[in-house]
Amino acid sequence: MSIMEYNGGSVIAMVGKDCVAIASDLRLGNQALGISSNFQKIFPVTDRIYLGLPGLATDVTTLRETFRYRVNMYTIKEEREIEPETFAHLVSSTLYERRFGPYFIEPVMAGLSRSATGGFKPFIAATDLIGCLNFAKDFVVAGTASSKLYGVAEGLWEPDLDPEQLFETISQTMLNAVDRDAYSGWGVVVHVIEKDKVTTRTLKGRMD
Amino acid sequence: MNSIANRFSTTGPLSELKKVQSFEDDEFADSAWGSEAGFGSLAKGVPNFTVPSVPDPSAFLRLHTDDFADPNCRIKIQHGTTTLAFRFQGGVIVAVDSRATAGSYVASGTVKKVIEINPYLLGTMAGGAADCQYWETYLGIHCRLHELRNRERISVSAASKYLSNLVYSYKGMGLSMGTMICGWDKTGPAVFYVDSDGTRLKGDIFSVGSGSTFAYGVLDQGYHWDLTDEEAQELGRRSIYAAGHRDAFSGNTCNLYHVKEDGWKFIGNYDISKLHYDGPGETPGAGYGYDVRIERTAGAHVVAQA
Amino acid sequence: METSFALTGKGYVIVASDTTAARSIVKMKTDEDKIKVVSPHLLMSYSGEPGDTIQFSEYVERNLRLFHIRNNYSLRPSAAASWIRRSLAQSLRSRKPYSVNLMLSGYDVTEEKPHLYWIDYLGTMTEVPFGAHGYGSYFALSLLDRYHDPEATLEEGLATLQRCIEEVAKRLVVSPGKYKVKVVDKDGAREIEL
Repeated sequence: MSIMEYNGGSVIAMVGKDCVAIASDLRLGNQALGISSNFQKIFPVTDRIYLGLPGLATDVTTLRETFRYRVNMYTIKEEREIEPETFAHLVSSTLYERRFGPYFIEPVMAGLSRSATGGFKPFIAATDLIGCLNFAKDFVVAGTASSKLYGVAEGLWEPDLDPEQLFETISQTMLNAVDRDAYSGWGVVVHVIEKDKVTTRTLKGRMD
Repeated sequence: MNSIANRFSTTGPLSELKKVQSFEDDEFADSAWGSEAGFGSLAKGVPNFTVPSVPDPSAFLRLHTDDFADPNCRIKIQHGTTTLAFRFQGGVIVAVDSRATAGSYVASGTVKKVIEINPYLLGTMAGGAADCQYWETYLGIHCRLHELRNRERISVSAASKYLSNLVYSYKGMGLSMGTMICGWDKTGPAVFYVDSDGTRLKGDIFSVGSGSTFAYGVLDQGYHWDLTDEEAQELGRRSIYAAGHRDAFSGNTCNLYHVKEDGWKFIGNYDISKLHYDGPGETPGAGYGYDVRIERTAGAHVVAQA
Repeated sequence: METSFALTGKGYVIVASDTTAARSIVKMKTDEDKIKVVSPHLLMSYSGEPGDTIQFSEYVERNLRLFHIRNNYSLRPSAAASWIRRSLAQSLRSRKPYSVNLMLSGYDVTEEKPHLYWIDYLGTMTEVPFGAHGYGSYFALSLLDRYHDPEATLEEGLATLQRCIEEVAKRLVVSPGKYKVKVVDKDGAREIEL
């Protein structure tokens, strides 16, 4: 029995053209037993940053609360919204604070960062459970279905997808990967982040 | 000390083993290459198997197959399953799921967990897939021989006893099976639970596998002897759905069989996700799922108010 | 084995918990109340490590009371649940964690809605329409998927609860004997004889 597999759940984030997408399943389990089919693992940090927290469910809630607190403090002190790069380092150092008794979470983040010219640039990142950052240019995955997600995403993802195509790609990746994982599934939620809006859709996934 | 004694003894288990192995090498080596599909050794009587030449073969097997103790073990035997069978006024209903998992990986969603032993007998599969398949096919051979010898069909009781005695003779060797032998004989519909511990139980309702408790929850509450054929089939399907939904290691599809006086009939294969959303028919929104059901009744409330 | 169920209905939550206090193979007591009324519209059923259960539930009860005295109003169910969850999550990474599983049932008087939170000893929390702890959950959850109705009357809700209790009595090897049942609704919390 692995702690990382105790509750189940998976998250994936993908880069598109001037947009990013992040998706997760909705299952909360106690090993083989499914408890809830509406357990959110992705949380909005700002209007343009979303954070996915797959792993041990108690730490999902704890870290969500921690990050909300720290981001609010940052916003108040700096009098501006946090940028995705800065937030990624906040996540990393928050996890490393518990280097010798870690939170059992592998965060995935997706957002749009403001570029020097005033435009927006897609940003995705993931860390391991003690905060080692991984900035990727295509997609990042985490959770019990991560190995399956890698396989499907590797096959479906291509550069410069527009928001609708990106939604289709991330949705198909998620739906098909979690069907091959016993601990993930029970519904899927997808967020597509664009410069002026975020579209959230709940998908009709397999319920077994 | 024991292992030294074994090495030189001519009656110990290890020497017995060696005898068996050399016997097989000489007499049966060719039959494995023939077209007898692994049952070739039956031509010479009881089948026998090569066993690893170690002091304790079953401990050796367990070391390499127990994925609970060691998730990285080399051989992963299929564990998660939900199977059920129950007797009622109109015969026997047999329903199973179709998921095979290796660790957390869903290795297959189209496994046939009902083994059609002959037109009157069905066996279900839980535990080691190969063990169930092999021994229930083997049972089928002997049921046919019984028919030829005695000019009448074997009773479900006798067939299950045959299997039970057989697996019992391998007790402690690592066989893993939990099966229901279902059929119709002179006495009417019959269901027997047989497992590799040697347990054999006659009964009305059985469910086996990691999802069995979930299936029981629905099955027990909806069961009574006087169920009609349609109600009974629906109950079997609904119970497998319940297990497929709640248990991570059960799911994908449900295979449903109905045994009547004239033998078994395959009723259908149902996608469990489709059962969740739409139910067994073709009506969208008529599914078994909790949320789907609540939405349906909430819709009905609104209509009633208007 | 300890078992507890809870289910929501139209304007109420029903909680049932077995009444055995066991030590080793002995039943020490068969009428133990394991559902605490922690504030006027809040019930908490608890199970787990003996000692921890009592200590933790009393800690919760006293703190919610303290909040009431200080502020002259009670925490709403969602706020109380969050506080309790956080206490468990912090305790989990302490030298001696509480191992207590909870089901928190409350009636939110401002919102006029029933709420049920499923919480385990790790601090995992989720709001559910019905829930169960212990081995009983393996039988009751599929049954509740089939029979539970969030719009049911109290009588219908109790009938569904009765099904759960009977199923567990029928199938669970070490099934509990008696249950204590409590209900919380707009009028507060009270015990019900089945």
